[in-house]
Amino acid sequence: MPHLDRRGFLKAGAWAAGSAALARPAIGGAWAAGETLTLYNGQHEKTTRALIDVFSGATGIRVNVRQGSSSQLANQLIEEGDASPADVFYSEESPPLVALANRSMLATLDDDTLKQVPPIYAAKDRTWVCASLRSRVVAYNKAMVSEGEFPASVLGFAAEAWKDRVAYVPTSGALLEQIMAIELLDGRDAALEWLKGLKAHGRLYPTNGAAMKAVEDGEIATALINNYYWFSIAQEVGDANMKSALFYYGHKDPGALISATAAGVLKSSRKQDLARRFVAFMVSEGGQQAIVDSMAEYPVRPGIESTFALKPFDELDPPAIGPADIGDAADALVLIREAGLA
Amino acid sequence: MTLALAGAGQRRPQPVWLVAAALVPVALMCLPLVYVALRSWQAGPSGIVAELLRERTLMLLLNTVALALGVTLGACLIGVAVAWCVERSDLPGRRWWRIAASLPLAMPAFVASYAWSSVHVAVQSLPGAIFVLTIVVYPLVFLPVAAALRGSLGKGPWETFVTVVLPQAWPALGAGALLVLTHMMAEFGALSLLRVQTFTTAIFQSYELQFDSASAALQSAVLMALCLPAAWGEMRLRQRLHVARAGRGSARRLPPRPLGRMRLPALAGFALLLTLSLGVPFAMLAWWLAVGTSRGAGIADLGPAIAGSLGLALPGAVIVVALALPLAFAAVRHPGPLSRIADRLPYIVHGLPGLVVALALVFLSIRYARPLYQTAFLLFVAYAMLFLPLAQSALRASIELVPPRLEELARGLGRNPFGAFAAVTAPNIMPGVGAALALMVLEIMRELTATLMLAPIGVTTLATEVWSHGNDGQFAAAAPFAALLVLVSALPVYVFTRRSSELYDLQ
Repeated sequence: MPHLDRRGFLKAGAWAAGSAALARPAIGGAWAAGETLTLYNGQHEKTTRALIDVFSGATGIRVNVRQGSSSQLANQLIEEGDASPADVFYSEESPPLVALANRSMLATLDDDTLKQVPPIYAAKDRTWVCASLRSRVVAYNKAMVSEGEFPASVLGFAAEAWKDRVAYVPTSGALLEQIMAIELLDGRDAALEWLKGLKAHGRLYPTNGAAMKAVEDGEIATALINNYYWFSIAQEVGDANMKSALFYYGHKDPGALISATAAGVLKSSRKQDLARRFVAFMVSEGGQQAIVDSMAEYPVRPGIESTFALKPFDELDPPAIGPADIGDAADALVLIREAGLA
Repeated sequence: MTLALAGAGQRRPQPVWLVAAALVPVALMCLPLVYVALRSWQAGPSGIVAELLRERTLMLLLNTVALALGVTLGACLIGVAVAWCVERSDLPGRRWWRIAASLPLAMPAFVASYAWSSVHVAVQSLPGAIFVLTIVVYPLVFLPVAAALRGSLGKGPWETFVTVVLPQAWPALGAGALLVLTHMMAEFGALSLLRVQTFTTAIFQSYELQFDSASAALQSAVLMALCLPAAWGEMRLRQRLHVARAGRGSARRLPPRPLGRMRLPALAGFALLLTLSLGVPFAMLAWWLAVGTSRGAGIADLGPAIAGSLGLALPGAVIVVALALPLAFAAVRHPGPLSRIADRLPYIVHGLPGLVVALALVFLSIRYARPLYQTAFLLFVAYAMLFLPLAQSALRASIELVPPRLEELARGLGRNPFGAFAAVTAPNIMPGVGAALALMVLEIMRELTATLMLAPIGVTTLATEVWSHGNDGQFAAAAPFAALLVLVSALPVYVFTRRSSELYDLQ
């Protein structure tokens, strides 16, 4: 029913503006007959689109997407409250979902869905499930620095020796998660010192994509980012043309943290069954294959092969910290503010 | 009422229809203020003080003020120089340069910044940002000043320029400068790419890192406070320097001043300016297309994106201009404290970033106007909040040119106040309306943040597609959308330039 109402108002708005004819082709398409789901999507659009193509092809269910940055969408969902039109939220990072779960905004998922992934990648209160995994890495420009020069731990980058040679992205959810990992592994003081060091010696970039591009263009020697940003540029310009490479820390260093994308169903959704079906599909074989084919991420479900030349997951040797340990990363924000980075 | 009285006295009572019509935009403009106040208050009095006294707040304040003043000053210098050359000198090809020099307005700041940030790392700095933003926003000063110079008297050497010509262009210069200044307060995309931190980038950062952010709301409040002195100062300037106009037919075209030996340097300067503001970004788009493997990806989305852009921009422009009209009209015809506050309020809100305006509308509409949520209508309201002052200033210039006597004459012939406005004033301000519409189409087409949050679901625009593909690292896929955004924007820029010229050519 709400759809009819909104359609009516949409038309009224367009009519009032005197341009119904222009506005309809773009707006009207979303209201075709049949079952539809509304997805708020913070994951990279091409991945989500690949996922939806397979899902809609198999089920006939249409998925309408509101695209945005994960945290901004979470903020929007919080402002919308019970009246949210969203059925499913797919986030590029896990903390925004935990933030919604903490506000009791997420419904519980089916046990069958949660069982598809290792327990560390599902919420204990069953409100969200991870959809894909990424490794933190150091991207470096091969002409400017060699792997031998890297410090023994990612903590070593926050030092005078790396003055203007390391890029970091304080607005990135993945950096927040890395800060949480350092706090959990090495204590609060170590995490704060690291941030202060980065502020003093590192160079701040607005997005991970910009930091990766800066390394590739030779603007800066290294960047602390996620693995798939390198593959995105490599896919665009060709592997052989890449001037940068990735360094994996391993040995359970916080620099080898695994971070996850995640999804959940909104409690306010009036299409609980459909929404749960979509999330179940995300962790199914078909859904996982669609995700890893479109983006250089690791599957969350065992037994799926990526088409990208990823470093094998077994060799990553990450610290034993999962999305549940990281939570909504509120502690990391306190540290970031204390260090004067936000 | 006699003609003499009408001409001399400005103190006529405001007609009811005008007051009612002006109340709508005023009420709308209060909404984001209420939201910012509500959310700020969550921090509590001690939290507010603690947040404002942070060392970081000072850094943001200095950066924001330096950037806004730097770009405004730069835009004024370039804008006035270009305006003088095309209107008052014998620069070869002046008619052509007049159009060409306004085209950088079609280049979205984030596209120019993306290009420039990859030219050299040194551009990613405060001076770099001032440079890049100056060369794309100077037309906001150039166009009104050029129009004023065309209509004004005076010629001769440099001293005459400073003592006679420039003062006549002061109001136009002040209006343009205020727009640039408040624009810079709210600029996000370009500054993010050029790695400069201001209050607006900090607000975005807060919403990236935090949920229910009271500190973001506080930073928004500071941003609006920063717009206050500028909006007030420009109003004072306008009051003191009210330029008397004797109506049509009194201004005389003067012979252009010879440039002499400065002719070649001037031409070279124009060529350089256009190369920097248009050439560099287009070269980058071409390079992306040449090297990227995602070339052609998503090309099928081009049609829906164009339809989305126009479907939002055209009706949006009509609505925003309709809301701006009573404000501008009341401010010119019925000056008084109330109409002045009503006229200034949108300039304060203009300093707010799109993200804050969008969240305010999410918060308010979902509670009090739920059926409107995520309809095109609500997005039009957001556009009005974001861009009203641009429409106001374009309209104001043309309303000031219509002598009040004309309306009084119509009243004397038996028309009611609204009838007089419709029969006499409306046809005479059409060039201003055209200019305002064109400017609105231009701004709405490149708007990103509010569009992402509030557009009816599934609607894409050229700007959202550029963002989305850029976010995925598919630069070649983004290039056609970015190029088209610039090319489609060139049309409203052309219309805007023509309409602004007509305003004064009529005299």
